[in-house]
Amino acid sequence: MYDKTMSLSQAADLIKDGMMLAIGGNGMHRTPSLFSLALTKKPLQELKVVGAAPGLASDMLFSTFQADTAYFGFFGLENEAGLAPGMRKAMEGAEPKAKAIEGS
Amino acid sequence: MWGSDLVAKRPEFFQVMKSPFDGTEVVCVKALVPDYAIVHVQEADIYGNCRILGPSYQDALLARAAKKTIVTTERIVGTYRMKEEPKLTAIPHFLVEAVVELPGGAKPGICYPEYQAVEWPKHKAYQKAVKEGQVPQYADSMLEGRL
Repeated sequence: MYDKTMSLSQAADLIKDGMMLAIGGNGMHRTPSLFSLALTKKPLQELKVVGAAPGLASDMLFSTFQADTAYFGFFGLENEAGLAPGMRKAMEGAEPKAKAIEGS
Repeated sequence: MWGSDLVAKRPEFFQVMKSPFDGTEVVCVKALVPDYAIVHVQEADIYGNCRILGPSYQDALLARAAKKTIVTTERIVGTYRMKEEPKLTAIPHFLVEAVVELPGGAKPGICYPEYQAVEWPKHKAYQKAVKEGQVPQYADSMLEGRL
């Protein structure tokens, strides 16, 4: 075992264009939202997001169009938080910027 | 998977094959292999051993499916915490590449038992930022120089 502690920006630098990210938590619960917000400050593109029920932290990467594909069962924030606004922004409309692969 | 329409609808993920053991038909599911799992936990040690308090959802599975895991944690704890109750280590150190101490890392969402309600004004600010294309600016206000 060795010390793996690092700063938020050092950890965010590990993420590169086109990577597939499995983002934890569920809906509004225990999702790594500040880590995702750190990624929104970087010029990343074509990220793929995976989760059974991706929530807020995943939504953030679609809100900036940095993620272009989601593999999921259910994508939403649930309860009062409702639908996932970033995912809808990227996936709805005549020319969607992101692809939904449900049931994968 | 038998009885699910997904077998026919998603041939890129589901295929029916004969079992090499007894010849019965089985549904095979293609595995996704994420480059990183990214999880927020309540407790991690400096080596990446993680404890999740409350519901763990699929986080332990995500960490095992991915090539490596990045952990953000409410607090760094001594490894003695893992030794006290080894079974409560949801993610072991060898799956982990990075540990970031980041209190409030799930805000404006919830992280039981640290903060148990959504911070609605900050969430509404996020919804507004999405509409206006201002999420990186919203990130500045939430990160408060922690990058």
